[in-house]
Amino acid sequence: MAASTDRPVEVYRVHPAVLGVAALASLILQSFLPLKLPLARLMDFPLLVTIYFALVRRNKVFGMGLGTALGLLQDALAHGFIGTYGIAKTLVGYLAASASARFELESILARSVLTGVFVLIHSLCLAGLQHALLEFPPPFQPLDVASTILVNVALGLVIFLILDRFKHPA
Amino acid sequence: MQAFVASHRPFFLLVGVLVAQLLLLSVQITRTNNVRLIRVWAVVLCEPFQRSLRGALNASTQAWRTYRGLWHAEQENQELHLQLVAAQSQVQRLSEQATENQRLRGLLDLRNQASFQTVAAEVMASSPGENSNSIYIDKGSDSGLTADLPVITPQGIVGKILAVFPHTSHVLLISDPSSGVGVLLAESRIQGVLKGGERNLCEVLYVMNEEPVKAGETLVTSGLDQIYPKGLPVGTVAQTSEGNIYKKILVNPAVDLSRLESVLVVLKPSDAQQQALNVPDHR
Repeated sequence: MAASTDRPVEVYRVHPAVLGVAALASLILQSFLPLKLPLARLMDFPLLVTIYFALVRRNKVFGMGLGTALGLLQDALAHGFIGTYGIAKTLVGYLAASASARFELESILARSVLTGVFVLIHSLCLAGLQHALLEFPPPFQPLDVASTILVNVALGLVIFLILDRFKHPA
Repeated sequence: MQAFVASHRPFFLLVGVLVAQLLLLSVQITRTNNVRLIRVWAVVLCEPFQRSLRGALNASTQAWRTYRGLWHAEQENQELHLQLVAAQSQVQRLSEQATENQRLRGLLDLRNQASFQTVAAEVMASSPGENSNSIYIDKGSDSGLTADLPVITPQGIVGKILAVFPHTSHVLLISDPSSGVGVLLAESRIQGVLKGGERNLCEVLYVMNEEPVKAGETLVTSGLDQIYPKGLPVGTVAQTSEGNIYKKILVNPAVDLSRLESVLVVLKPSDAQQQALNVPDHR
């Protein structure tokens, strides 16, 4: 699963339009899908987009910037305070770009594990922020987190396969 | 440092972005009493510095006040010290004036009580020679003084005028070896001649060994020398001893001749009449 140090790390590029459409679609889906599908409340489309593009671009600044932008837009569309999703997704974007060099991203297992880990980090970061800043009671429910991870890992595998069609080596 | 920052630029950028979003959150979030979280953080962050700054300012202010207080105290201390010196000087001057007043009052009483005319005089100087006991007074022939006039104080006789000048007179003290005063022992009524002796003492001559003379006996003028009026205090017998024919009698003068300041010069009757004519209010 881990990338060999002998093999050069492959970096992919995606057309900016694809990136824009994917980001916009993720925000729209995140806003409207839960109204029609209750299970969609567990999904986090902007998070999956952030993870995917951070992994394939392998650029920390890019991953961090994309996570910040999508997180803040998600905050703006939500009813909460602006910054909670922004912080969580900024961190995930940076960590995903940092981890991309160490793993073989074509592997489904690697993608699944990395997505699960980053979803977990995202959930913990959100819970921590809400508890520390908003003085919410500790919202960490292991079952809910596990459900969120499973749903998003499954959804991520699908989204990643779709987006793989638009990437090309840099 | 720049190389380190450049090599870790994404990390520092991450920290900056996270901090910026935390600040953004803190602006929106309010705590109890509708206080925004950023204000809570700002207060928590700045409070130790404000407390330290306030403590430093208070300490500085207190130190400055203490310094100013000490400076004022020093100034006040100097002023009070000057006032104290001036007061001490004034007290000393007043004390001297009181002493002089007492002395002059004694002279005045003597003049009022005495049956003879006197002229008051101040002692100007003492004789410079070691073996001559004499003084100079500030009255001379202008005041009607002549040679051989007796000089006295309320305590007793001082001497006689040796020489007269227009404004001063030279007085030979009774402690001078060349002086001679006719004296009378007050109790035994024995007569003798007083001359100057050693160590500011005087000596009575020509008293026979068989005459009873006791130490402590008072001597007064006999008037036989034609200079001093009779009955003026001369001194007291300090010590007596047998001689070949005459007793050796040492006398303590009644007047402290080393501390003379004011004296009276006794005028002769004829001189007194002349003085009364020239200066009616001289007495």
